[in-house]
Amino acid sequence: MSQEVLTHDADVAAAGPRVRGRTRLRHQWWSHGMVAPSVLLVAGLLYLPFLWSLYLSFTHYDGTGSPKWAGLANYHALWDDPVLTTTLRNTAYWVVGTLVLPVGLGLLIAVLTYQLKGGTWLRLPFLLPYAISGTATAVVWGFILGDHGAINSLLSALHLPGGHVSLLQNAPLNTIVMVLAQTWQSIGVNILLFVIGLQSIPRETLEAARVDGATGWTLFRQVIWPLLRPLTAVVVGLALVAGLKTFDLVWIMTQGGPGRSSETLSVTMYRDAFVGNDYGYGAAVAVLLTVVGLLVSALYLGRQAAPKREFDVTGGGR
Amino acid sequence: MSGGARWGLYGRYLLVIVLGLVWLAPTYLVLVNAFRKSTEYTGTGLWKPSGDFALFGNLAKAWDAADLGSGITSTLLYSVVAPALAAIVGALAGYAITVLRLRHGFLWFIVIYGCTTFPGQMLLEPLFTGYADTQLYDTRIGLILVYVAVDVPLAAFVMRNFFMGASRSVFESGLVDGANPFTIFWRIYLPMCRTALAAIFVLEFTFVWNDFLFGLVLSQSTDVRPLMTSVATLSNAYAGNTVPVILTGGLFVSLPTIALFIATQKLFARGLTLAQL
Repeated sequence: MSQEVLTHDADVAAAGPRVRGRTRLRHQWWSHGMVAPSVLLVAGLLYLPFLWSLYLSFTHYDGTGSPKWAGLANYHALWDDPVLTTTLRNTAYWVVGTLVLPVGLGLLIAVLTYQLKGGTWLRLPFLLPYAISGTATAVVWGFILGDHGAINSLLSALHLPGGHVSLLQNAPLNTIVMVLAQTWQSIGVNILLFVIGLQSIPRETLEAARVDGATGWTLFRQVIWPLLRPLTAVVVGLALVAGLKTFDLVWIMTQGGPGRSSETLSVTMYRDAFVGNDYGYGAAVAVLLTVVGLLVSALYLGRQAAPKREFDVTGGGR
Repeated sequence: MSGGARWGLYGRYLLVIVLGLVWLAPTYLVLVNAFRKSTEYTGTGLWKPSGDFALFGNLAKAWDAADLGSGITSTLLYSVVAPALAAIVGALAGYAITVLRLRHGFLWFIVIYGCTTFPGQMLLEPLFTGYADTQLYDTRIGLILVYVAVDVPLAAFVMRNFFMGASRSVFESGLVDGANPFTIFWRIYLPMCRTALAAIFVLEFTFVWNDFLFGLVLSQSTDVRPLMTSVATLSNAYAGNTVPVILTGGLFVSLPTIALFIATQKLFARGLTLAQL
């Protein structure tokens, strides 16, 4: 960067050293003014709240008056809370589920429709739900999965077993079926990204591989998959984040119930803070969610960084 | 084509079409039951079309029950104004960092972009109590501010990447013409990145339109509360609305983003790639 500054200075140098210094100074003034709105917005509405939440997690606070310092009391209480196991287990289901299903199925559909005549149209049913909100998804799937809902009534009509099983009332079945609902909604973004990745593979690479006799599974395994790897990293990262922050769907479909059996960390935080008015405790759950997020990212990035160079023989890619 | 390859091709079509039908089933169910008369919904025969045409009647009921009219006005305001402001504010930052070569620019960029790693749950309590203390709670300005702040990091990220690829000679010839850095930004650089701006706008419009959580925590009155939060109350068991009314509400609030997605599918995909790569 400093090198670029030098060339820029050389351009302005024609105007003489005094002007050059003044111009650069003036540009710094302008540039500070222009970066300021962004910095002020994120500082005031994102950083400050973040730090305040961190502080609140060490206090007792019910939202009125002022927070009272409590040390690690909230964290101790959280550790002893029987709901912690449930919510952590459900969060794990969500992370693993949104990783395997939307990403795996998304890749499958992208590859199946790749270079298929009419592929764009065949993909559309999968893409559209992505434009729909978590709220609308919850409304629709609440009707499908609820007691006497569409699934129950279909199973009964076909005289299949399960017509009387309450899909949303039994744990961990309720979490599993909600992950399926999320899969329905979120698969589109993965397909879209995988299709972009597939389209960026040079035709010559594929032709060359075909000439060498690679077709079907071999072609995918040996040529396409390695070239998709950088993109897969992005898609998987996105899915991890989406799985961790699941809230709308669960809150609207089960409110974390019955009991607290389908809560995820996001739901537990919301319930403790805004239903239970225990802000210190809610903040501690939010901090735990942040830590889990950082751990998952660190694990994932660590795996990504591990060398997998043997695939690079095909060259090209992006 | 050999026989095996032909069967492989048929297999691909068959698998995609079967999965596609599964994916369309929820939409089919919504349509069938949104057209059903609210009074004739018995919870049986959910998969069979009723032959009624009660869609508009159901919509009117949903409209009244959740005050969708006010919800639409405020949500439209949020999802147009906030992403537009965020795009300009973020572009300004990207321009300052790359074109104006802000001192320690990369550090500032990390400051702006780094907060995308915060989970929303870490922001909710302080925003709620802070908004209550500053009279921003349950105001449209308050919600717009939050949406802008949440959208800015992505906009700054995309625009910084975009400007890094732009030629600097444009800036220098602007200076020679006597324009100041802001005029150069507004007249030359901003129009130059129209497509990128449009791409993030479409993406963030969808995000804001579909938001539920910030609306839930930071608003309560029907004319401030965003649409999704209203629809969620519609489906609340205690609200006593029938399934056809609830489904019609859900269908109705989804139409704008579905239409936008179909109309701008290429732009949408571009926004996604710009945002991730």
